[in-house]
Amino acid sequence: MPWYLYLALKQLFPTGKRLTFFTAISVLGVAAGVWLLVVVTGVMGGFGHKYRGLIVDTQGDIQVRARGLSRQPAEVMKHLEAIPGVVATSPSAEGIVMLRVGNKPTFPGIQGVDIRRVENVIPLRRHIIAGSLDDLDDDTVILSRGLAASLGVWIGSNVEVISPATLEKWQRDEIMLPTELTVVGIFEIGHQQLDGSVAIVTLRRMQDLYDLGEAVHGYNVKLAPGEDVVEAAQRINATLPATSGLYASTWMEAHPGFLFALQMEKIMVTLMVSFVVLIAMFLVTALLLIAVVRKTREIGLLGALGASAWQTAAGFCLQGFIVGTLGTLAGLAAGFLTLANIDSIFRALGSITGSWEEMVAIYQFTQVPAHITAGEIAGIAGYAISMATLAGFIAAWRAAKLKPVEALRSE
Amino acid sequence: MKLNEINEPILRVEGVRKSFTSGDRKIEVLRDVAFAISAGESASIRGESGSGKSTLLNLFAGLDAPDAGRIELEGRTRIDAAARGRLIGIVFQSFYLIPELNAYENVLMAARVAGVLNAETRQRATELLRRVGLADRAHHVPAQLSGGERQRVAVARALINSPRLLLADEPTGNLDEKTGDGVIDVLLGLCDETKTALVLVTHNAAHASRCAQKFLLHEGVLSPAS
Repeated sequence: MPWYLYLALKQLFPTGKRLTFFTAISVLGVAAGVWLLVVVTGVMGGFGHKYRGLIVDTQGDIQVRARGLSRQPAEVMKHLEAIPGVVATSPSAEGIVMLRVGNKPTFPGIQGVDIRRVENVIPLRRHIIAGSLDDLDDDTVILSRGLAASLGVWIGSNVEVISPATLEKWQRDEIMLPTELTVVGIFEIGHQQLDGSVAIVTLRRMQDLYDLGEAVHGYNVKLAPGEDVVEAAQRINATLPATSGLYASTWMEAHPGFLFALQMEKIMVTLMVSFVVLIAMFLVTALLLIAVVRKTREIGLLGALGASAWQTAAGFCLQGFIVGTLGTLAGLAAGFLTLANIDSIFRALGSITGSWEEMVAIYQFTQVPAHITAGEIAGIAGYAISMATLAGFIAAWRAAKLKPVEALRSE
Repeated sequence: MKLNEINEPILRVEGVRKSFTSGDRKIEVLRDVAFAISAGESASIRGESGSGKSTLLNLFAGLDAPDAGRIELEGRTRIDAAARGRLIGIVFQSFYLIPELNAYENVLMAARVAGVLNAETRQRATELLRRVGLADRAHHVPAQLSGGERQRVAVARALINSPRLLLADEPTGNLDEKTGDGVIDVLLGLCDETKTALVLVTHNAAHASRCAQKFLLHEGVLSPAS
C-alpha cells in the first residue's frame, strides 16, 4: 500500500480510535446528501415507472387506435402480428355508460375486452382482488374497486347498464330494457382514477352496448421483451396504410403532459438536492483545509522524511475520496432502506400533516411508488465521490504548495 | 565501504551563504560556511537563538537551498526528496510525531515514505524501540507518551533507514535536563554503533562537549569552538 494511502486511512481511522470527529461529520454530510438524492430520484422515478407500468398493464406496450371504427379486426390483428417484435394483439372498444343499482346511477368508463386474447397482452388477472376473470362472459361484468364501493355492490350483485345506444333508442321511442349484468370480479390497479370508475365487459357485450357490429375502437399490442417501444411504434405505423385510419402510439405519446410534468419535477428537485451534496462537499473541503492548517508541521515532517509534494497532496486527496466513498455507501444504504419503506413513511407523514388525500388526488396513485435505475445510482455515486475527491483536491493543492522548510517553521 | 572511503567526508560544505529579506532589509544569516563530517563522527553546533543554526541544518538536509556555495552529500550536490529520506535522518526539537500513529508505526513511517518497508525494517523498528528503551510502549500513541519518550521515538524514526547522516536540531530543547541527557546518550550511542555521522545543534554546552567536533555559529560565521 502506498504510504500516502496508509496515512490517509490512519488519519481517518487512527490507531486506537474507531472514528475521528472529522471522519464522522464528513461521512455523515456526504451520506445525507446521497440519501436525499436517492430518495428524491427514487420517488420521482417511481411515479414515471408506475405510470408506465399502469398503462402497459391496462393498454399493452403500444396502442393502435382507429379514427372512428376499425371494421375488420381479424385482418388488422393478423397484419399487426406479422410485424417483427409484436408478439400478441387484443382488440378493444371503450366508452362511457350509465351504471345503475336501484336509484343510484354512476357514469364509469367501460372497456370491452376479447377474453380469449386479452391476457396475452394485458395482465388483467394480476389485478383481480375478488372474484375471477374466468367468470367473465357476455352477461357479467368486472368492476374497479372504487366503482363497486360507490355502487355498494360486490360479487354476485346485479347492475343495470344503459349505454348511449340505448338512450338513442329511447329517444326514438323504441322499447329497450337496460342490460342487466352480474358482478363476477373486482379489480384494483393502484391508480385512483382507474380504480374509481371503470367497468370491464366482454368485447361482444361492448359491441352490443354501442351498436358496433363487428367493429372495434382499436388494438392493444404486446411487444417482445426488450423491444424498443418507440421503434416498434414507428415500424407499425410504417406498415399501416394511410387509408386505414389506424395509428400506433406509445404510452409516452399517449400521456405526454403528465410525463413531462413528472420529468420536469424530477429535474428541478434533483437539481435542488444536488446543492445539498455540494454544501456537504464545502463542509468536507473546510474540514480538510483545517486539517491541512493543523497538520502544517506534519506536512513539513513528511517532506523532511523524503515525501514529494504530490505524494503529500495525494494523501489529502485520498481522504476526500475515502470520505466520499464511505458517505456514498452509507447514503445509498439509507436511501434504499427509505425507498423500501417509502409508502409507509409517506402514509405516516400524510396522516400527521393531513395531506395524504391531496397527494393521492394530485398523483392519482394510492401507493407511493419508488423506482431507481442502476444508471441513476451510478450517477449519484459518481457525483458524490467525485465532489468529495475534488474537496480533498482543494486541500491537497494547498498542502502541495507548502515547502517543507516553511511548514516546519510555521507556528 | 572501501578502506580509502572511511575518512572521506559524507557531508562537505564549502563557501555557503544564506540571507533572508525582511521588508527592505537583507539579513545575512550564514557567511562562507565551511564544514565536513565523516562516517561515525559527531559534531556539535552551538549558537545564540536566531544565529542561523536551524537554517544551516535545513541546508545540510537539502530542505532549503543556499544563495551561494556548495553542499555535497556523499558526493552529490543535488539531494532530491527520495534521496533525503534514505540518506539523512532528522530529529527535531518538537518531535513531530504523527498523532494518529503509535510509536512503532511512527518509526516505520520513515521507512514507508522512503519505500523501504519490509520485514527487515519492521524488525529493525522493534529493535530500535528496544534500544531507546520503549519496547513496552511501542503500541502507545504520542499522546500517551512523555516528552522524553516522544523524542526517543523520533530518534528511532530518524535511524530506521540506516541513514549516513543524522541531523539533530536542538533535540533536548523541550526536555528537562535529566531526560535530555538520556536522549543524548541514546543518540550518541546509536550513531557510534551504526557509524552514522551526527550533527547536533544545541544550546546545551554539556551535550555539545560530548561530540568529537565542536563548532560555534556566531553572526553567520561557523568556527571551531574551544
